Amino acid sequence: MSISLSHLTKRYGDDAVVDDVNVEIAEGSLTAVLGPSGSGKSTLLKLIAGLENPDEGRVVIEGDDVTDIDPRHRDIGFCFQHYAPFRHMNVARNIGFGLRVRKQPKNVIDAKVAELIELVRLDGKSKSFPAQLSGGERQRMALARALAIEPRVLLLDEPFGALDAQVRAELRQWVKELHQQIKVTTILVTHDQDEAMEVADQLLIMHEGRIEQAGEPTELYERPATEFVHRFLGPTTMFKGVSVRPHDLELVAPSEGAIEGTVQSVMELGFEVQATIALSDGSTPWVQMSRNEFRILNVGVGSAVSIRERI
Amino acid sequence: MNHTTRKWSLRLVVTLYLGLLVGLPVGYLFIEAFSHGFHAFWVEVTKPDAIAALKLSAEVALIAVPVNTLVGVGAALVLARRKFFGSRALTLAFDIPVAVSPIIIGVALVLAYSRIGWFGSWLSTHGIQILFSPVGIVMATMAVSLPYVLRSVLPVLIEVGKDQEDAARTLGAGAFRTFWQVTLPAIRWGVLYGVTLTIARTLGEFGAVLVVSGNITGKTQTLPIYIYDAWDQNYDTVGAFAGALVLASISIVALIILSTLRARERKLHVDLA
Repeated sequence: MSISLSHLTKRYGDDAVVDDVNVEIAEGSLTAVLGPSGSGKSTLLKLIAGLENPDEGRVVIEGDDVTDIDPRHRDIGFCFQHYAPFRHMNVARNIGFGLRVRKQPKNVIDAKVAELIELVRLDGKSKSFPAQLSGGERQRMALARALAIEPRVLLLDEPFGALDAQVRAELRQWVKELHQQIKVTTILVTHDQDEAMEVADQLLIMHEGRIEQAGEPTELYERPATEFVHRFLGPTTMFKGVSVRPHDLELVAPSEGAIEGTVQSVMELGFEVQATIALSDGSTPWVQMSRNEFRILNVGVGSAVSIRERI
Repeated sequence: MNHTTRKWSLRLVVTLYLGLLVGLPVGYLFIEAFSHGFHAFWVEVTKPDAIAALKLSAEVALIAVPVNTLVGVGAALVLARRKFFGSRALTLAFDIPVAVSPIIIGVALVLAYSRIGWFGSWLSTHGIQILFSPVGIVMATMAVSLPYVLRSVLPVLIEVGKDQEDAARTLGAGAFRTFWQVTLPAIRWGVLYGVTLTIARTLGEFGAVLVVSGNITGKTQTLPIYIYDAWDQNYDTVGAFAGALVLASISIVALIILSTLRARERKLHVDLA
Protein backbone atom coordinates (compact mmCIF):
# COMPACT_ATOMS: atom_id res chain seq x y z
CA MET A 1 0.00 0.00 0.00
CA SER A 2 1.26 3.45 -0.85
CA ILE A 3 -0.53 5.37 1.87
CA SER A 4 -2.08 3.95 4.96
CA LEU A 5 -3.90 5.99 7.55
CA SER A 6 -4.86 4.45 10.87
CA HIS A 7 -7.12 5.96 13.50
CA LEU A 8 -6.29 9.40 12.16
CA THR A 9 -8.03 12.09 14.22
CA LYS A 10 -7.82 15.87 14.23
CA ARG A 11 -9.76 18.03 16.66
CA TYR A 12 -10.27 21.76 16.79
CA GLY A 13 -11.40 22.28 20.36
CA ASP A 14 -14.04 19.62 21.04
CA ASP A 15 -14.88 19.28 17.38
CA ALA A 16 -13.35 16.30 15.55
CA VAL A 17 -12.82 17.52 11.96
CA VAL A 18 -11.20 14.23 11.04
CA ASP A 19 -12.58 11.42 13.17
CA ASP A 20 -10.85 8.03 13.40
CA VAL A 21 -10.08 7.63 9.70
CA ASN A 22 -8.70 4.25 8.57
CA VAL A 23 -7.79 4.04 4.88
CA GLU A 24 -5.45 2.13 2.61
CA ILE A 25 -4.56 3.73 -0.70
CA ALA A 26 -3.06 1.56 -3.44
CA GLU A 27 0.18 2.34 -5.22
CA GLY A 28 -0.41 4.27 -8.44
CA SER A 29 -4.12 4.84 -7.84
CA LEU A 30 -6.01 8.08 -8.37
CA THR A 31 -8.28 8.50 -5.39
CA ALA A 32 -10.86 11.21 -4.97
CA VAL A 33 -11.89 12.27 -1.48
CA LEU A 34 -15.45 13.45 -1.95
CA GLY A 35 -17.61 15.18 0.58
CA PRO A 36 -19.63 18.31 1.27
CA SER A 37 -17.79 21.38 2.52
CA GLY A 38 -16.84 21.05 6.16
CA SER A 39 -16.64 17.27 5.94
CA GLY A 40 -12.94 17.34 6.82
CA LYS A 41 -11.55 16.34 3.43
CA SER A 42 -9.07 19.22 3.08
CA THR A 43 -7.88 18.67 6.64
CA LEU A 44 -7.34 14.98 5.83
CA LEU A 45 -5.12 16.01 2.90
CA LYS A 46 -3.14 18.42 5.08
CA LEU A 47 -2.67 15.69 7.69
CA ILE A 48 -1.15 13.42 5.03
CA ALA A 49 1.14 16.24 3.89
CA GLY A 50 2.11 17.13 7.46
CA LEU A 51 0.77 20.68 7.18
CA GLU A 52 -1.52 19.79 10.10
CA ASN A 53 -0.60 17.54 12.99
CA PRO A 54 -3.01 14.80 14.03
CA ASP A 55 -4.21 14.46 17.62
CA GLU A 56 -4.28 10.68 17.23
CA GLY A 57 -3.38 8.08 14.63
CA ARG A 58 -0.56 7.39 12.19
CA VAL A 59 0.27 8.33 8.60
CA VAL A 60 2.36 5.71 6.77
CA ILE A 61 3.71 6.38 3.29
CA GLU A 62 5.33 3.49 1.40
CA GLY A 63 5.98 1.69 4.65
CA ASP A 64 7.56 4.68 6.43
CA ASP A 65 5.74 6.10 9.40
CA VAL A 66 5.90 9.84 8.64
CA THR A 67 3.53 11.02 11.38
CA ASP A 68 6.28 12.86 13.25
CA ILE A 69 8.23 13.92 10.17
CA ASP A 70 8.25 17.53 8.98
CA PRO A 71 6.43 18.14 5.67
CA ARG A 72 9.70 19.18 4.07
CA HIS A 73 11.06 15.65 4.40
CA ARG A 74 7.94 13.76 3.33
CA ASP A 75 8.51 13.98 -0.45
CA ILE A 76 4.94 14.93 -1.10
CA GLY A 77 3.72 17.02 -3.99
CA PHE A 78 0.97 19.31 -2.79
CA CYS A 79 -1.21 21.50 -5.00
CA PHE A 80 -3.13 24.15 -3.14
CA GLN A 81 -6.68 25.18 -3.86
CA HIS A 82 -5.55 28.62 -5.01
CA TYR A 83 -2.31 27.19 -6.44
CA ALA A 84 -0.07 29.24 -4.08
CA PRO A 85 2.28 30.36 -6.87
CA PHE A 86 5.42 32.20 -5.77
CA ARG A 87 4.27 35.50 -7.24
CA HIS A 88 7.67 37.10 -7.51
CA MET A 89 9.19 34.16 -9.42
CA ASN A 90 8.60 33.38 -13.08
CA VAL A 91 7.20 30.04 -14.23
CA ALA A 92 10.60 28.38 -14.65
CA ARG A 93 11.80 29.48 -11.23
CA ASN A 94 8.55 28.39 -9.60
CA ILE A 95 8.85 24.92 -11.12
CA GLY A 96 12.55 24.66 -10.25
CA PHE A 97 12.12 25.72 -6.60
CA GLY A 98 12.10 22.21 -5.11
CA LEU A 99 15.12 21.22 -7.21
CA ARG A 100 17.10 24.25 -6.04
CA VAL A 101 16.23 23.33 -2.46
CA ARG A 102 17.65 19.86 -3.22
CA LYS A 103 20.86 21.50 -4.48
CA GLN A 104 20.68 19.90 -7.92
CA PRO A 105 23.21 21.17 -10.48
CA LYS A 106 21.96 23.98 -12.68
CA ASN A 107 22.00 21.98 -15.93
CA VAL A 108 19.95 19.20 -14.31
CA ILE A 109 17.42 21.74 -13.02
CA ASP A 110 17.16 23.47 -16.41
CA ALA A 111 16.61 20.18 -18.23
CA LYS A 112 14.00 18.99 -15.74
CA VAL A 113 12.16 22.33 -15.78
CA ALA A 114 12.09 22.34 -19.60
CA GLU A 115 10.71 18.80 -19.59
CA LEU A 116 7.99 19.69 -17.09
CA ILE A 117 7.03 22.87 -18.94
CA GLU A 118 6.41 20.72 -21.98
CA LEU A 119 4.54 18.09 -19.95
CA VAL A 120 2.11 20.67 -18.52
CA ARG A 121 1.89 22.48 -21.86
CA LEU A 122 3.26 25.83 -20.75
CA ASP A 123 5.65 26.15 -23.71
CA GLY A 124 6.72 29.74 -24.25
CA LYS A 125 5.55 30.77 -20.79
CA SER A 126 8.71 29.97 -18.82
CA LYS A 127 9.59 33.64 -18.33
CA SER A 128 6.05 34.74 -17.48
CA PHE A 129 5.06 35.64 -13.96
CA PRO A 130 2.04 34.03 -12.28
CA ALA A 131 0.11 37.30 -12.60
CA GLN A 132 0.34 36.99 -16.38
CA LEU A 133 -1.11 33.48 -16.49
CA SER A 134 -4.73 32.35 -16.71
CA GLY A 135 -6.24 30.29 -13.90
CA GLY A 136 -5.75 27.03 -15.79
CA GLU A 137 -2.13 27.89 -16.58
CA ARG A 138 -1.41 28.69 -12.93
CA GLN A 139 -2.93 25.39 -11.95
CA ARG A 140 -0.70 23.52 -14.42
CA MET A 141 2.35 25.45 -13.21
CA ALA A 142 1.56 24.46 -9.61
CA LEU A 143 1.23 20.86 -10.73
CA ALA A 144 4.60 20.98 -12.51
CA ARG A 145 6.19 22.53 -9.42
CA ALA A 146 4.85 19.70 -7.26
CA LEU A 147 5.91 17.04 -9.76
CA ALA A 148 9.45 18.43 -10.11
CA ILE A 149 10.58 16.85 -6.86
CA GLU A 150 9.37 13.42 -8.08
CA PRO A 151 7.06 13.04 -5.10
CA ARG A 152 6.04 9.69 -3.66
CA VAL A 153 2.48 10.98 -3.44
CA LEU A 154 0.66 13.81 -5.20
CA LEU A 155 -2.04 15.62 -3.22
CA LEU A 156 -4.46 18.00 -4.96
CA ASP A 157 -6.75 20.20 -2.87
CA GLU A 158 -9.87 21.15 -4.86
CA PRO A 159 -7.73 21.34 -8.00
CA PHE A 160 -10.44 22.63 -10.31
CA GLY A 161 -12.48 24.60 -7.81
CA ALA A 162 -11.56 28.10 -8.93
CA LEU A 163 -11.86 27.58 -12.70
CA ASP A 164 -14.73 28.23 -15.08
CA ALA A 165 -16.77 25.29 -16.36
CA GLN A 166 -15.06 24.73 -19.71
CA VAL A 167 -11.46 24.98 -18.43
CA ARG A 168 -12.49 22.67 -15.61
CA ALA A 169 -13.71 19.96 -17.94
CA GLU A 170 -10.56 20.14 -20.08
CA LEU A 171 -8.24 20.15 -17.12
CA ARG A 172 -9.78 17.18 -15.37
CA GLN A 173 -9.54 15.11 -18.53
CA TRP A 174 -5.93 16.23 -18.80
CA VAL A 175 -5.16 15.33 -15.17
CA LYS A 176 -6.58 11.88 -15.79
CA GLU A 177 -4.37 11.42 -18.86
CA LEU A 178 -1.36 12.81 -17.01
CA HIS A 179 -1.92 10.33 -14.21
CA GLN A 180 -2.03 7.43 -16.68
CA GLN A 181 1.25 8.73 -18.09
CA ILE A 182 3.21 9.18 -14.85
CA LYS A 183 1.36 6.82 -12.47
CA VAL A 184 2.17 8.64 -9.25
CA THR A 185 -0.19 7.81 -6.38
CA THR A 186 -2.60 10.74 -6.35
CA ILE A 187 -5.27 11.89 -3.96
CA LEU A 188 -7.55 14.73 -4.93
CA VAL A 189 -10.11 16.45 -2.79
CA THR A 190 -13.36 17.67 -4.30
CA HIS A 191 -16.95 18.45 -3.40
CA ASP A 192 -18.12 17.80 -6.96
CA GLN A 193 -19.38 14.24 -7.48
CA ASP A 194 -19.26 14.42 -11.30
CA GLU A 195 -15.63 15.43 -11.13
CA ALA A 196 -14.80 12.62 -8.71
CA MET A 197 -16.67 10.00 -10.78
CA GLU A 198 -15.00 11.12 -13.99
CA VAL A 199 -11.41 11.40 -12.82
CA ALA A 200 -10.87 8.92 -10.02
CA ASP A 201 -10.46 5.15 -9.99
CA GLN A 202 -11.12 5.04 -6.23
CA LEU A 203 -13.55 7.12 -4.16
CA LEU A 204 -13.55 7.98 -0.48
CA ILE A 205 -16.79 9.52 0.66
CA MET A 206 -16.34 11.74 3.70
CA HIS A 207 -19.06 13.00 5.98
CA GLU A 208 -18.61 14.81 9.29
CA GLY A 209 -14.97 13.79 9.58
CA ARG A 210 -15.57 10.11 8.92
CA ILE A 211 -15.16 7.90 5.89
CA GLU A 212 -18.68 6.83 4.90
CA GLN A 213 -17.60 4.42 2.19
CA ALA A 214 -14.57 3.63 0.06
CA GLY A 215 -14.37 1.80 -3.25
CA GLU A 216 -14.62 2.10 -7.01
CA PRO A 217 -16.96 4.80 -8.34
CA THR A 218 -19.45 2.44 -10.05
CA GLU A 219 -19.55 0.15 -7.05
CA LEU A 220 -20.39 3.06 -4.74
CA TYR A 221 -22.94 4.44 -7.15
CA GLU A 222 -24.70 1.13 -7.54
CA ARG A 223 -24.33 -0.19 -4.00
CA PRO A 224 -24.17 2.76 -1.62
CA ALA A 225 -23.59 1.57 1.94
CA THR A 226 -25.43 4.44 3.57
CA GLU A 227 -28.25 6.81 2.79
CA PHE A 228 -25.71 9.65 2.78
CA VAL A 229 -23.59 8.05 0.05
CA HIS A 230 -26.70 7.33 -1.99
CA ARG A 231 -27.85 10.94 -1.78
CA PHE A 232 -24.43 12.42 -2.28
CA LEU A 233 -23.35 10.45 -5.36
CA GLY A 234 -26.22 11.38 -7.61
CA PRO A 235 -29.70 12.85 -7.82
CA THR A 236 -32.41 11.22 -5.72
CA THR A 237 -36.18 11.52 -5.47
CA MET A 238 -38.76 10.03 -3.10
CA PHE A 239 -40.99 7.36 -4.63
CA LYS A 240 -43.31 5.12 -2.61
CA GLY A 241 -41.63 6.38 0.54
CA VAL A 242 -38.09 5.40 -0.45
CA SER A 243 -35.30 7.37 -2.06
CA VAL A 244 -34.50 6.30 -5.63
CA ARG A 245 -32.53 7.64 -8.60
CA PRO A 246 -34.81 9.67 -10.92
CA HIS A 247 -33.37 7.85 -13.95
CA ASP A 248 -34.56 4.56 -12.41
CA LEU A 249 -38.17 5.77 -12.81
CA GLU A 250 -40.13 5.96 -16.03
CA LEU A 251 -43.37 7.48 -17.30
CA VAL A 252 -45.84 5.41 -19.26
CA ALA A 253 -49.29 5.98 -20.76
CA PRO A 254 -52.01 5.98 -18.03
CA SER A 255 -53.58 2.79 -16.63
CA GLU A 256 -51.01 0.14 -17.29
CA GLY A 257 -51.05 -1.10 -13.73
CA ALA A 258 -48.73 1.70 -12.59
CA ILE A 259 -49.37 4.57 -10.18
CA GLU A 260 -51.28 7.42 -11.78
CA GLY A 261 -50.54 11.10 -11.50
CA THR A 262 -50.39 14.37 -13.44
CA VAL A 263 -47.41 16.16 -14.92
CA GLN A 264 -46.74 19.13 -12.65
CA SER A 265 -43.76 20.68 -14.39
CA VAL A 266 -41.29 19.91 -17.17
CA MET A 267 -37.68 21.09 -17.44
CA GLU A 268 -35.87 20.53 -20.72
CA LEU A 269 -32.08 20.56 -20.35
CA GLY A 270 -30.91 19.81 -23.87
CA PHE A 271 -30.62 16.04 -24.15
CA GLU A 272 -32.13 15.49 -20.73
CA VAL A 273 -35.70 16.14 -19.63
CA GLN A 274 -36.86 16.28 -16.00
CA ALA A 275 -40.55 15.94 -15.28
CA THR A 276 -42.15 16.34 -11.85
CA ILE A 277 -45.25 14.26 -11.30
CA ALA A 278 -47.96 14.99 -8.72
CA LEU A 279 -49.37 11.77 -7.26
CA SER A 280 -52.66 11.28 -5.42
CA ASP A 281 -50.85 10.60 -2.12
CA GLY A 282 -49.43 14.17 -2.31
CA SER A 283 -45.85 13.12 -3.18
CA THR A 284 -44.08 14.70 -6.15
CA PRO A 285 -41.31 12.43 -7.50
CA TRP A 286 -39.36 13.60 -10.51
CA VAL A 287 -38.30 11.49 -13.45
CA GLN A 288 -35.20 11.86 -15.57
CA MET A 289 -35.41 10.73 -19.19
CA SER A 290 -33.95 11.43 -22.60
CA ARG A 291 -35.45 13.98 -24.92
CA ASN A 292 -36.54 11.21 -27.29
CA GLU A 293 -38.39 9.27 -24.60
CA PHE A 294 -40.20 12.44 -23.64
CA ARG A 295 -41.20 13.21 -27.27
CA ILE A 296 -42.60 9.71 -27.76
CA LEU A 297 -44.73 10.02 -24.60
CA ASN A 298 -46.31 13.13 -26.09
CA VAL A 299 -47.36 14.69 -22.77
CA GLY A 300 -47.18 18.20 -21.29
CA VAL A 301 -47.94 20.00 -18.03
CA GLY A 302 -51.35 18.81 -16.75
CA SER A 303 -51.36 15.52 -18.70
CA ALA A 304 -52.34 12.33 -16.91
CA VAL A 305 -49.48 9.80 -16.81
CA SER A 306 -48.44 6.72 -14.92
CA ILE A 307 -45.16 6.32 -13.19
CA ARG A 308 -43.21 3.13 -12.34
CA GLU A 309 -39.74 1.84 -11.64
CA ARG A 310 -37.74 0.82 -14.69
CA ILE A 311 -37.14 -2.88 -14.99
CA MET B 1 -22.66 70.93 -11.74
CA ASN B 2 -21.48 68.83 -14.65
CA HIS B 3 -18.90 66.10 -14.44
CA THR B 4 -15.88 68.17 -15.54
CA THR B 5 -16.57 71.08 -13.21
CA ARG B 6 -17.04 68.71 -10.33
CA LYS B 7 -13.79 66.93 -11.12
CA TRP B 8 -11.84 70.18 -11.32
CA SER B 9 -13.36 71.76 -8.24
CA LEU B 10 -12.54 68.59 -6.27
CA ARG B 11 -8.94 68.79 -7.47
CA LEU B 12 -8.78 72.45 -6.53
CA VAL B 13 -10.01 71.74 -2.99
CA VAL B 14 -7.47 68.94 -2.51
CA THR B 15 -4.63 71.05 -3.93
CA LEU B 16 -5.53 74.03 -1.75
CA TYR B 17 -5.79 71.85 1.32
CA LEU B 18 -2.41 70.18 0.72
CA GLY B 19 -0.92 73.52 -0.29
CA LEU B 20 -1.90 75.20 2.96
CA LEU B 21 -0.82 72.27 5.13
CA VAL B 22 2.29 71.04 3.33
CA GLY B 23 3.27 73.08 0.28
CA LEU B 24 3.36 76.56 1.77
CA PRO B 25 5.30 75.71 4.98
CA VAL B 26 7.82 73.48 3.21
CA GLY B 27 8.22 76.05 0.44
CA TYR B 28 8.90 78.79 2.99
CA LEU B 29 11.43 76.53 4.65
CA PHE B 30 13.40 76.33 1.41
CA ILE B 31 13.18 80.06 0.80
CA GLU B 32 14.18 81.07 4.32
CA ALA B 33 17.01 78.54 4.61
CA PHE B 34 18.61 80.09 1.53
CA SER B 35 17.52 83.69 2.30
CA HIS B 36 21.09 84.75 3.01
CA GLY B 37 22.51 82.78 0.11
CA PHE B 38 23.84 79.27 -0.19
CA HIS B 39 27.05 80.20 1.61
CA ALA B 40 25.21 81.23 4.78
CA PHE B 41 23.23 77.99 4.62
CA TRP B 42 26.42 75.97 4.27
CA VAL B 43 28.08 77.76 7.19
CA GLU B 44 25.06 76.98 9.35
CA VAL B 45 24.86 73.28 8.54
CA THR B 46 28.62 72.77 8.96
CA LYS B 47 28.81 74.36 12.42
CA PRO B 48 30.34 71.81 14.86
CA ASP B 49 27.18 71.66 17.00
CA ALA B 50 25.02 71.14 13.92
CA ILE B 51 27.31 68.40 12.63
CA ALA B 52 27.34 66.76 16.08
CA ALA B 53 23.53 66.84 16.19
CA LEU B 54 23.24 65.39 12.68
CA LYS B 55 25.76 62.69 13.56
CA LEU B 56 23.93 61.73 16.76
CA SER B 57 20.61 61.58 14.91
CA ALA B 58 22.17 59.38 12.24
CA GLU B 59 23.72 57.08 14.86
CA VAL B 60 20.44 56.76 16.73
CA ALA B 61 18.67 55.94 13.46
CA LEU B 62 21.32 53.38 12.54
CA ILE B 63 20.57 51.48 15.73
CA ALA B 64 16.84 52.13 16.16
CA VAL B 65 15.74 51.44 12.56
CA PRO B 66 17.35 47.99 12.11
CA VAL B 67 16.32 46.86 15.61
CA ASN B 68 12.73 48.01 15.17
CA THR B 69 12.63 46.44 11.70
CA LEU B 70 13.73 43.06 13.04
CA VAL B 71 11.38 43.27 16.01
CA GLY B 72 8.50 44.48 13.82
CA VAL B 73 8.87 41.79 11.14
CA GLY B 74 9.38 39.09 13.78
CA ALA B 75 6.36 40.16 15.79
CA ALA B 76 4.25 40.42 12.62
CA LEU B 77 5.22 36.86 11.62
CA VAL B 78 4.32 35.51 15.05
CA LEU B 79 1.03 37.43 15.22
CA ALA B 80 -0.02 36.55 11.66
CA ARG B 81 0.92 32.87 11.68
CA ARG B 82 0.23 31.69 15.19
CA LYS B 83 -2.85 32.07 17.32
CA PHE B 84 -1.98 32.20 20.98
CA PHE B 85 -3.35 33.46 24.23
CA GLY B 86 -2.53 37.15 24.66
CA SER B 87 -1.82 37.88 20.99
CA ARG B 88 -4.28 40.76 20.98
CA ALA B 89 -2.75 42.23 24.12
CA LEU B 90 0.65 42.05 22.42
CA THR B 91 -0.59 43.92 19.34
CA LEU B 92 -2.06 46.53 21.61
CA ALA B 93 1.21 46.89 23.54
CA PHE B 94 2.97 47.74 20.26
CA ASP B 95 0.51 50.57 19.64
CA ILE B 96 0.72 52.23 23.05
CA PRO B 97 3.91 54.25 22.34
CA VAL B 98 2.33 56.02 19.34
CA ALA B 99 -1.11 56.31 20.90
CA VAL B 100 0.15 58.45 23.78
CA SER B 101 2.03 61.73 23.54
CA PRO B 102 5.82 61.30 23.14
CA ILE B 103 6.29 63.50 26.21
CA ILE B 104 4.58 60.81 28.28
CA ILE B 105 6.99 58.17 26.90
CA GLY B 106 9.89 60.43 27.85
CA VAL B 107 8.58 61.07 31.37
CA ALA B 108 7.81 57.38 31.86
CA LEU B 109 11.34 56.45 30.80
CA VAL B 110 12.77 58.98 33.24
CA LEU B 111 10.60 57.51 36.02
CA ALA B 112 11.70 53.99 35.23
CA TYR B 113 15.40 54.59 34.71
CA SER B 114 16.25 57.50 37.01
CA ARG B 115 17.26 56.85 40.59
CA ILE B 116 13.61 57.36 41.61
CA GLY B 117 12.74 53.90 40.32
CA TRP B 118 14.11 50.66 41.82
CA PHE B 119 15.40 49.47 38.43
CA GLY B 120 17.12 52.80 37.73
CA SER B 121 18.78 52.86 41.14
CA TRP B 122 19.90 49.23 40.70
CA LEU B 123 21.40 50.19 37.33
CA SER B 124 23.17 53.26 38.70
CA THR B 125 24.74 51.26 41.56
CA HIS B 126 26.19 49.08 38.80
CA GLY B 127 27.48 52.16 36.99
CA ILE B 128 24.99 52.04 34.11
CA GLN B 129 23.74 55.46 33.04
CA ILE B 130 20.74 55.43 30.73
CA LEU B 131 19.28 58.91 31.06
CA PHE B 132 21.10 61.96 29.65
CA SER B 133 23.13 59.63 27.44
CA PRO B 134 22.82 58.36 23.86
CA VAL B 135 21.52 55.03 25.27
CA GLY B 136 18.47 56.82 26.66
CA ILE B 137 17.95 58.64 23.36
CA VAL B 138 18.06 55.36 21.45
CA MET B 139 15.56 53.79 23.86
CA ALA B 140 13.16 56.72 23.64
CA THR B 141 13.44 56.74 19.85
CA MET B 142 12.87 53.00 19.55
CA ALA B 143 9.82 53.27 21.80
CA VAL B 144 8.11 55.98 19.76
CA SER B 145 8.85 54.28 16.43
CA LEU B 146 8.00 50.77 17.65
CA PRO B 147 4.81 49.84 15.75
CA TYR B 148 5.46 51.24 12.24
CA VAL B 149 7.07 48.13 10.74
CA LEU B 150 4.64 45.81 12.52
CA ARG B 151 1.64 47.85 11.39
CA SER B 152 2.82 47.98 7.76
CA VAL B 153 3.76 44.30 7.57
CA LEU B 154 0.97 42.57 9.54
CA PRO B 155 -1.90 43.28 7.11
CA VAL B 156 0.27 42.26 4.15
CA LEU B 157 1.19 38.97 5.80
CA ILE B 158 -2.46 38.24 6.55
CA GLU B 159 -3.47 39.19 3.00
CA VAL B 160 -0.76 37.06 1.37
CA GLY B 161 -1.73 34.08 3.52
CA LYS B 162 0.13 30.97 4.52
CA ASP B 163 -0.18 28.94 1.32
CA GLN B 164 3.06 30.05 -0.35
CA GLU B 165 4.99 29.24 2.82
CA ASP B 166 3.28 25.85 3.09
CA ALA B 167 4.06 25.17 -0.57
CA ALA B 168 7.73 25.97 0.04
CA ARG B 169 7.73 23.58 3.01
CA THR B 170 6.27 20.69 1.05
CA LEU B 171 8.92 21.34 -1.61
CA GLY B 172 11.58 20.83 1.05
CA ALA B 173 12.51 24.38 2.03
CA GLY B 174 13.52 25.07 5.64
CA ALA B 175 12.37 28.02 7.71
CA PHE B 176 15.35 30.19 6.74
CA ARG B 177 15.02 29.69 2.98
CA THR B 178 11.24 30.02 3.17
CA PHE B 179 11.58 33.37 4.91
CA TRP B 180 14.20 34.83 2.55
CA GLN B 181 12.91 33.45 -0.73
CA VAL B 182 9.16 33.29 -0.21
CA THR B 183 7.89 35.36 2.73
CA LEU B 184 10.17 38.38 2.50
CA PRO B 185 9.70 38.97 -1.27
CA ALA B 186 5.95 38.78 -0.71
CA ILE B 187 5.97 41.38 2.06
CA ARG B 188 8.88 43.55 0.91
CA TRP B 189 6.80 46.63 0.12
CA GLY B 190 5.19 46.48 3.53
CA VAL B 191 8.64 46.21 5.13
CA LEU B 192 10.07 49.07 3.06
CA TYR B 193 7.09 51.26 3.80
CA GLY B 194 7.40 50.51 7.51
CA VAL B 195 11.14 51.21 7.41
CA THR B 196 10.57 54.54 5.67
CA LEU B 197 8.05 55.58 8.30
CA THR B 198 10.40 54.40 11.05
CA ILE B 199 13.30 56.42 9.60
CA ALA B 200 11.12 59.52 9.37
CA ARG B 201 9.85 59.11 12.91
CA THR B 202 13.29 58.21 14.29
CA LEU B 203 14.97 61.26 12.79
CA GLY B 204 12.11 63.54 13.69
CA GLU B 205 11.38 62.51 17.28
CA PHE B 206 11.49 65.50 19.58
CA GLY B 207 9.43 65.29 22.76
CA ALA B 208 10.47 61.94 24.21
CA VAL B 209 14.12 62.53 23.32
CA LEU B 210 14.10 66.03 24.81
CA VAL B 211 12.95 64.67 28.17
CA VAL B 212 15.45 61.82 28.45
CA SER B 213 18.46 63.47 26.78
CA GLY B 214 19.02 66.41 29.11
CA ASN B 215 19.70 68.50 26.00
CA ILE B 216 23.48 68.81 26.33
CA THR B 217 24.66 70.78 23.29
CA GLY B 218 27.16 68.85 21.20
CA LYS B 219 26.64 65.71 23.31
CA THR B 220 23.02 64.61 23.61
CA GLN B 221 21.45 66.97 21.14
CA THR B 222 19.72 65.36 18.19
CA LEU B 223 18.90 67.33 15.06
CA PRO B 224 15.30 68.22 15.99
CA ILE B 225 16.46 69.43 19.41
CA TYR B 226 19.26 71.42 17.80
CA ILE B 227 16.71 73.10 15.53
CA TYR B 228 14.48 73.89 18.50
CA ASP B 229 17.44 75.36 20.40
CA ALA B 230 18.59 77.46 17.46
CA TRP B 231 15.05 78.77 17.01
CA ASP B 232 13.97 79.25 20.60
CA GLN B 233 17.12 79.86 22.62
CA ASN B 234 19.65 81.35 20.21
CA TYR B 235 17.36 83.33 17.88
CA ASP B 236 19.35 81.80 15.02
CA THR B 237 16.58 81.59 12.41
CA VAL B 238 18.83 80.76 9.48
CA GLY B 239 20.41 77.97 11.54
CA ALA B 240 17.00 76.62 12.50
CA PHE B 241 15.72 76.74 8.93
CA ALA B 242 18.91 75.18 7.58
CA GLY B 243 18.73 72.31 10.08
CA ALA B 244 15.02 71.85 9.41
CA LEU B 245 15.66 71.74 5.68
CA VAL B 246 18.29 69.01 6.09
CA LEU B 247 15.94 67.00 8.28
CA ALA B 248 12.97 67.44 5.96
CA SER B 249 15.06 66.59 2.89
CA ILE B 250 16.20 63.24 4.30
CA SER B 251 12.64 62.12 4.93
CA ILE B 252 11.36 63.46 1.60
CA VAL B 253 14.18 61.74 -0.28
CA ALA B 254 13.39 58.46 1.50
CA LEU B 255 9.73 58.73 0.46
CA ILE B 256 10.67 59.57 -3.14
CA ILE B 257 13.03 56.58 -3.36
CA LEU B 258 10.32 54.29 -2.02
CA SER B 259 7.67 55.47 -4.47
CA THR B 260 10.08 55.35 -7.44
CA LEU B 261 11.12 51.78 -6.68
CA ARG B 262 7.52 50.80 -6.31
CA ALA B 263 6.47 52.42 -9.58
CA ARG B 264 9.26 50.62 -11.42
CA GLU B 265 8.26 47.31 -9.89
CA ARG B 266 4.63 47.86 -10.93
CA LYS B 267 5.76 48.34 -14.50
CA LEU B 268 7.36 44.90 -14.43
CA HIS B 269 3.94 43.35 -13.59
CA VAL B 270 5.57 41.43 -10.79
CA ASP B 271 3.55 42.74 -7.93
CA LEU B 272 0.10 42.30 -9.44
CA ALA B 273 -2.31 39.40 -9.18
